[in-house]
Amino acid sequence: MAIGTLDRAASVNRWRHRALTEKALIGLGFLALALALPPWPGAALVGAAVLGFTFLGARVPLRLWAAAVAAPLGFLAIGVATLMVQIDGAGIALAPDGAERAAGLGLRAMAATLCLMFLAFTTPAAELIGGLRALRVPAEIVELALLTYRFVFLLADSAVAMTTAQRARLGHSSRARWLRSTGMVIANLLPRAMDRARRTEIGLAARGWQGQMPVLHTRPPVCARRIALVLAVQAGVLALGVWA
Amino acid sequence: MHIMEGFLPASHALGWTAVSAPFVIAGALRIRTIIRDTPEARMTLAASGAFAFVLSALKIPSVTGSCSHPTGTGLGAIVFGPSVMALMGVIVLLFQALLLAHGGLTTLGANTFSMAVVGPWVAWGVWKLAGRLGLSFAVSVFLAAALGDLATYVTTSVQLALAYPDPASGIAGAALKFGSIFAVTQVPLAIAEGLLTVVVIEALSGKTRDKDRIALLAGGEK
Repeated sequence: MAIGTLDRAASVNRWRHRALTEKALIGLGFLALALALPPWPGAALVGAAVLGFTFLGARVPLRLWAAAVAAPLGFLAIGVATLMVQIDGAGIALAPDGAERAAGLGLRAMAATLCLMFLAFTTPAAELIGGLRALRVPAEIVELALLTYRFVFLLADSAVAMTTAQRARLGHSSRARWLRSTGMVIANLLPRAMDRARRTEIGLAARGWQGQMPVLHTRPPVCARRIALVLAVQAGVLALGVWA
Repeated sequence: MHIMEGFLPASHALGWTAVSAPFVIAGALRIRTIIRDTPEARMTLAASGAFAFVLSALKIPSVTGSCSHPTGTGLGAIVFGPSVMALMGVIVLLFQALLLAHGGLTTLGANTFSMAVVGPWVAWGVWKLAGRLGLSFAVSVFLAAALGDLATYVTTSVQLALAYPDPASGIAGAALKFGSIFAVTQVPLAIAEGLLTVVVIEALSGKTRDKDRIALLAGGEK
């Protein structure tokens, strides 16, 4: 998946202009529930609820979403397979309650991933990072993260252009050459990044830059009804997860 | 190697966050000092964070046939020093979770510890030690980057083993299980990244006219 894909999808999402508080309550609230509740039925309910918000509410495009969710599946498959077996003096054997533990882990990790994907697909990363201010993260650090975010896409474009140029000149024709080509991309990218940083810095310093980059935000009001709805669903999931 | 979202139980997620926090706070304080003393370093820091992120999205060939992603841990530690890497690592890991679905928010603490604390410090230690032993430049860079990657992967295996001990052989058995499965991808990656970092540093040392700026981030020595 290309670097900008998820963020672009978030920027054109239907819920892009909903208040950050509402979306964070859904994403982070359910994430906490996924971890805190026993996987069955807790995590399964969390997964179902978040899928509802993702597709019925925010109408996230299914194909993109599936591609993003598939990324951690390889890791999950290996992790789950490891729980199924045990090692003892006699060698490797199937673990007695391995299938149960593996299923629980799979459920919880998938539910948590769905929560993360909800946030990633409805809210651009810059907005989420900006929201860290409310959590009392020092302003310098938040500004640094936001500057980093702005540089990411500039550098990614350069890297993609360099890689394309190399491929067109058989730069990836053998493994050794591919490795060498990638090394050259990186070695060319770092001085460019530094140079770009210096030029931006000079340009901004000439305009009296003090380190903040205030941009005009529209702060949509928090809708009490929607918050109440989310809290009600979360309370339901919590109750079912604890008592079922 | 990123631990995916939700993979660690809540207690472990919190525990690893607490373990990483001092390193990240120390890195943040160091970065604050750097920014206060030399405000122009702010852009350099941001650009290097973005650089580390873009690096992790590049594909490199892996010996086992598939392709893999460099982590940039060794390169960052050699060029910028390990102390600022902790905070920059958190920022990069956060973007990886939000923009690429690699890693996660609840596993941010554990991933920070393996990738932004252990990896860089090991790489940096090996780099300094190799210099003192009089090893050649290329060999030192290779060892620093490859061992930094290996340390990251061993740390991740231990983190997973602590969370999911083996029913028969306990934590040691589980570490062996996770370690041997991930070795298939991680050992070739470490070798590939070691070679890659040699290519990068050699090409860089001929190119970077702005050495002072990089040295400044690495610990103030000019």
